[in-house]
Amino acid sequence: MKRQLSDPASDGSDVSEDMEDDDEYAHYYYDNTDDLDIDKPKKSDDPEYFEYTILQVEDAERLLNEEIEALCSALKVPPSLAKMLLHIHDWQRELIIEKYQQDAEGLLVESNINSEKKALVNDKDTLTGSNPACPVCADNYPRDKFLGLTCGHSFCPNCWDMHFRVQIQQGVTMGIECMGQKCKVLVPESFLYSVLTDSKLRDKFSKLCFKDLIQGHPKLRFCPGPNCSVIIFAKEPRAKKVECSLCKSTYCFKCGIEYHAPTDCDVIKKWLTKCADDSETANYISAHTKDCPKCHVCIEKNGGCNHMQCSKCKFDFCWMCLGDWKSHGSEYYECSRYKENPNIANESVHVQAREALKKYLFYFERWENHAKSLQLEEQTLQKITSRIQAKVMENEGTWIDWQYLLNAAALLKKCRYTLQYTYPYAYYMDKGGRKQLFEYQQAQLEAEVENLSWKVERAEITDRGDLENQMDIAEKRRQTLLKDFLEV
Amino acid sequence: MANIAEQRIRREFKEVVKSDEVAACNIKVELVNDTYTHLRGEIMGPPDTPYEGGRFQLEIKIPETYPFNPPLVKFLTKIWHPNISSVTGAICLDILKDQWAAAMTLRTVLLSLQALLAAAEPDDPQDAVVAQQYKEHPEIFRRTALHWTSVFAKGPKKDKELEDKVASLINMGFEEHQARVALSTNQWDLTRAAEYCLS
Repeated sequence: MKRQLSDPASDGSDVSEDMEDDDEYAHYYYDNTDDLDIDKPKKSDDPEYFEYTILQVEDAERLLNEEIEALCSALKVPPSLAKMLLHIHDWQRELIIEKYQQDAEGLLVESNINSEKKALVNDKDTLTGSNPACPVCADNYPRDKFLGLTCGHSFCPNCWDMHFRVQIQQGVTMGIECMGQKCKVLVPESFLYSVLTDSKLRDKFSKLCFKDLIQGHPKLRFCPGPNCSVIIFAKEPRAKKVECSLCKSTYCFKCGIEYHAPTDCDVIKKWLTKCADDSETANYISAHTKDCPKCHVCIEKNGGCNHMQCSKCKFDFCWMCLGDWKSHGSEYYECSRYKENPNIANESVHVQAREALKKYLFYFERWENHAKSLQLEEQTLQKITSRIQAKVMENEGTWIDWQYLLNAAALLKKCRYTLQYTYPYAYYMDKGGRKQLFEYQQAQLEAEVENLSWKVERAEITDRGDLENQMDIAEKRRQTLLKDFLEV
Repeated sequence: MANIAEQRIRREFKEVVKSDEVAACNIKVELVNDTYTHLRGEIMGPPDTPYEGGRFQLEIKIPETYPFNPPLVKFLTKIWHPNISSVTGAICLDILKDQWAAAMTLRTVLLSLQALLAAAEPDDPQDAVVAQQYKEHPEIFRRTALHWTSVFAKGPKKDKELEDKVASLINMGFEEHQARVALSTNQWDLTRAAEYCLS
């Protein structure tokens, strides 16, 4: 829809005519097919373009298995080892192959799959007698019953079994370690399956393991929608928008929370924590209060006068320098001159806190305000829908004739959404030319969004051409801002 | 499961009781009841620390899944340390959480706790107030920890000045422990401590 509007109409029609006329050029035009595909945004032009596929659990399993098999055959290692290597090294197959070929042992030690040579112990030697006691349960077993990993720590099968039980119950799968003291060597799946007999637990292990693998895979993510079981696959994982075709929720691929362009994942997290956090209350207290210099009770200044009297100890003091008021009188402004006074330093801390609070509130108010506007415009959309219904009933045009109103409302939502997320971005930006440019573009977008909102609300008295023109401008502004500031 | 836990504790008991550390009065474990699920530990404050000469009592609870899960340990003796809550005695130590291994024993736990007393980790605090003092006023921290050791853990070194300050707050009508906590928290500033008690 967006593409239809922003594309000059001539572009598309010319090309399609040419293609029908002359097959010779078809190939030439197909090379630039992005322009022709109306449903898909242009790769090169749309800063929000993101390619992803939605996978069912079985598809994702197949995908993982293919990657594991590919590594198995490249390195000639068993699947259980390949799986561990991939999981530990973020599924970077080429890197693993390269490192493995350079120094296989080094890679395995680094990955905590093998133990370092010098740290190798042989518990079988330290176990005494032909019927030694297991270091964990203290039961005696024949020497050959003991099992262990490459690190040499040996324990009885019952203890291994119990260890796996406890770990799986606690949700640990790929990260199960040897039971030895300070031993970090990981338990390979094959070893676990050879010991663990309970079929229910084996099932649970394999399910949890799959979850762990998907969560550790940079190109895959579980759809965070409620009760949604699909998995999103992105060839080039980025902090871009994903819309689940099943549960309809939209979110950022990289961090899984609400989509937040142009702000990046770390910044939006910081911002949301800041908004939720009570620390701003502390900041408020710091900005609006001082401690009485005599009895240290917390005092809020609620009037303009700087002559303060502590309500508790009745001490008269100056709000500016926190000195005794007696020394002020007629020479009031003297207090600002005592630079060596440590209270001036305190004062500057207060000023800083107050400034910080002011800045935060400035951005927060706007952020909140756009969030509220989005909610209100949701109501406008419902009103439009019912009005269209009424008009169609009264034979004033068909449903299709009025679609542009819905499109306008949807576009307004999209633009305002981006606008809302420009505020956290601006809050964390450093002062300078780039911020000036950002704020200029933000202001431009804001103006056009408000214009559009005005026209959508008065859709009936707005000319269709005028409205569509406004939509075009608003979307262009949004695109320009994203193109310049969305880091891809 | 509980069977393994009991068997292990029985054996560990022998281990700790026999070991050299016990001979040197460094660490001690005793039963509280005869179920082997609830034990009482004791460690000596390590030398060259403000805890030197103090005896610190620990509560040790053995979970059913021991030794596959760590024992639950906390200080019964009040202590001033960044990684130990001055209120509840809860301990922040990796081997009591995710770094536990089934091959570890009560002996390793007690020795690790002793090592923790000797080397605090203020960046991973359990008690934020103490940790802040440790970083910003190391000398006051040392004196406070020493004072707590002498009061609660039978430590040998008394600090007359600090005791006088506690006494003067008590004279103002505050309860002893409240007074001590208020002073410790407020870098031993009497006026601020009194304020703290009132708020």
